[in-house]
Amino acid sequence: MAPSAISEVPPPSGRNSPKPEPAKIWSVSDPPFEGFKPIDTEGHACSNRDTAIVIDNGSSNVRAGWSFDSKPRISLPPLMARYRDRRIARTFTFVGSDIYSDGTARGQAKNVYEPGSNIINNWDCMEGVLDYCFIKLGVDGRNGGIDRPIVMTEPVANLGYTRKTMSEILFECYGAPSVAYGIDSLFSYSYNGGRNGLVVSSSYSSTHIIPVIESKALLSQATRLNWGRSQSAEYLLKLLRLKYPAFPGKISDTQAEDLVRDHCYVSRDYENELSHYLEWTGLEDRDHTIQFPYTEQVVVQKTEEELAIAAEKRKESGRRLQAQAAKMRLEKLKRKEEEYEYYVQLQAQLANTTKKEGKRILESNDFDDESQLEKRVRELEKSIKKARNKDVGDVEEEQQEEPTFPLLDVPDDQLDEESLKQKRQQKLLKSNYEARQRAKAEKEKEKARQAEEQRLDDERRENDFENWVEERRIARQAIIQKMRDRERLKAELGNRKSLANQMRMKSIANLASDNPTKKRRRGGGDDDTFGADDADWGVYRTIATGEQSDDEEEEDLNRELKNIEAQLLKHDPNFTEESTREAQTDWTKSLLHAFLHGPYPFDPESQKQAHQLHLNVERIRVPEVVFQPTIAGLDQAGIVEIAAGILTERLAESPYRNDILKDIFLTGGNTLFQGFEERLQDELRAVLPAELELGVRRAKDRVLDAWRGAAKWAGKAESKKAFVTRAEFMEKGGDYLKEHELGNASL
Amino acid sequence: MAPLTAASDEKTHQALLDKLDIYAISKSFRNPHWKPPQRRNKNVKQILAEVSRKEASVMATQNNSGASTPVLPHSEALTGGASTPVGNHQPPNIAQAARNLSTLVLEKNTRAAMGASPANGGPAATYTNIESAPSFHPNSQRRYCDITGLPAPYTDPKTRLRYHNKEIFGVIRTMPQNTTESYLAARGAHTVLK
Repeated sequence: MAPSAISEVPPPSGRNSPKPEPAKIWSVSDPPFEGFKPIDTEGHACSNRDTAIVIDNGSSNVRAGWSFDSKPRISLPPLMARYRDRRIARTFTFVGSDIYSDGTARGQAKNVYEPGSNIINNWDCMEGVLDYCFIKLGVDGRNGGIDRPIVMTEPVANLGYTRKTMSEILFECYGAPSVAYGIDSLFSYSYNGGRNGLVVSSSYSSTHIIPVIESKALLSQATRLNWGRSQSAEYLLKLLRLKYPAFPGKISDTQAEDLVRDHCYVSRDYENELSHYLEWTGLEDRDHTIQFPYTEQVVVQKTEEELAIAAEKRKESGRRLQAQAAKMRLEKLKRKEEEYEYYVQLQAQLANTTKKEGKRILESNDFDDESQLEKRVRELEKSIKKARNKDVGDVEEEQQEEPTFPLLDVPDDQLDEESLKQKRQQKLLKSNYEARQRAKAEKEKEKARQAEEQRLDDERRENDFENWVEERRIARQAIIQKMRDRERLKAELGNRKSLANQMRMKSIANLASDNPTKKRRRGGGDDDTFGADDADWGVYRTIATGEQSDDEEEEDLNRELKNIEAQLLKHDPNFTEESTREAQTDWTKSLLHAFLHGPYPFDPESQKQAHQLHLNVERIRVPEVVFQPTIAGLDQAGIVEIAAGILTERLAESPYRNDILKDIFLTGGNTLFQGFEERLQDELRAVLPAELELGVRRAKDRVLDAWRGAAKWAGKAESKKAFVTRAEFMEKGGDYLKEHELGNASL
Repeated sequence: MAPLTAASDEKTHQALLDKLDIYAISKSFRNPHWKPPQRRNKNVKQILAEVSRKEASVMATQNNSGASTPVLPHSEALTGGASTPVGNHQPPNIAQAARNLSTLVLEKNTRAAMGASPANGGPAATYTNIESAPSFHPNSQRRYCDITGLPAPYTDPKTRLRYHNKEIFGVIRTMPQNTTESYLAARGAHTVLK
């Protein structure tokens, strides 16, 4: 266990410091295939026609052995898989833990019992399990049957149909000479020497409470609670699925059972322990981390050398490109220079020739008149100069001379066609230029305005601090509210039926439809005014979902919030590091985080952590159901209430009551939880009169004593008369039962 | 057929399966003529329905024919409760019997019809009537947070989920409806459409 004293002192920010890595990480294992079990002929050889085969037909495990054994020889889960492999045209039957040896077998496995109850409803499987027991016990069937009496356990108040079918199988299929049935918990009680007491038996599929007087069970007062270990495992599984809806691994039923067995315990004071369960102090001891198998995503880490090589390569190719570009530029420059020289020559030539000749020359060079040539020459000159500058590297400050627009002031009628054209051009240029100037001025103004605002703000802060702070706080609250709204909207969009999503669908449909939504009865036909108002385009923002849509906005909000918080931090003495949103939403303070991930930071990227389960509250919540069945939606009284009812009301006048009180007896696999005994003792003490003596004890072996008791009972001479013989079965039918102290009453 | 471990290959795995398979083993202890009855797999609900039907018909015939009807072979009246270790002058277990009131009434009728002594205790234990009755203890009204399991002083009127504090409430309010329903289902408080 990790030392819990390290983080007792919270750091000044009020955040809890994260705990170091969990000291112990539990893992889960697949149900074990126990390996091949050899046939045990030794027991059969020792047996004779009077020694019974004892079968504890439990819903978690079927245990079988001989009545002279000290413990069952075989124990197997009541599972069978029978399937036909078409490839090799062969039928396979696997029973018990053998089904775990093969994938197909595991998939085909069926349980003998109806899930969540103690009633057998798959008799083919039952036969398979019995076959397996008899084979492994070395029954040779020399006389065409098992030829040994059978003692079998059954649930309290077993259904007639179930017993009848079982008897049919035992007598008709296996040819048993005689059969006796008894109740497992009573066998366990008698094995542990009980005489007057209250048997509390919580097993795999149900919990029974049976008062026993003078070694006889008061079955009319027996009570069943439909909750056992299998229901606990199912409940834990349900809770875990809700707790980690996106859990990538698969938790199998047997793994859930393991989790219940290994991590759960009965809390001695549930209310009190529960309310402190997720508190930061000592959480690392209460929180159990379960690691499921995972494959780490391999991120290829490049070495420094490789990185350097790659960078060098990139640089190299960049240089090559640069060189190429420079070469091309040079060529272009050369061409331009040649062109320039040619045109200059042309100009000189023009000056010397006649007008007509000049016109011809101009036309042959694609010029309309001399001014165009001039323009061309100017352009070339400029671009050459520019290119040279670039190559040489010194950027000459381009002299910004105010452009002049001389033609604009000349009235139109004084101009010829050519000049009119030019005038239009100048007009355009002028408006362009003016727009630029205006924008510049605006920018400057804005800057000045901001500076002024800042100044005013500072002034206001100094003069009217309280209002200033108030305003900031309101602004901050508004941003937080906005962020929350956005989160909620996002969550609602996840739900197909939510109002937000329906609105979104509606606007998409509106946008997609050709005809406008609202048809005006009167007036102009097509008056689609979409876009007349800029806000109309906002509709595209609302229908866009996914990551790219609100990332920007969110960042904006975050920045704004940070900004305001920084101001508040700087100036407001009441606003401390602790009150920032970041600190308030810090995971170490989150109850939910403690619930989901314990006292450790969570990195959603890590595959390892994504495959971890944290058991904390569940550790006491799951076993608690036996005491408070309503928390799992079971509308029954808990064991304490049942026991108290039996002890204080139904048996209130019984002369044996005080003896019963002294011997509250626990048996069954579901009572193995640590603290079960103490809790029952505490709670019963609270409801019983103070002067009465109360004793709670448990079976020496809460799992195997039922079988041992049955074996011991089977060996007793006086039990012989409780066996139903084959002849009696033939005469009186399948549900004929002889009553005895440890068995059910016949109806 | 998937080999379970990396250590076993196709061949060894098949050998293992051959070894484990009990289909091929001769089961001489089984009666070769045994034919299991058709449709013998029934669930609890079916069995219970059959039992109550049978009971009702038996009782009805007895009510009609009165004392002249032969006594049921396995009824309590026959054994007289002597060998049955049911209550020695115990008051009837009303809470249990209430679970199956018809049984109580019917048994009382039979007893009256057959003139059995009223000293016999309450109804015999059957699979249905030994079920624990709903709790009347105030403790069963305790509320726990549906999400975390912690004590829950509040209930969200919209989703009917119980919650521990406002952080959990925030989570509840961002949950889609099917999630809230499955949380309710874990407590057995979900809406069931029939």
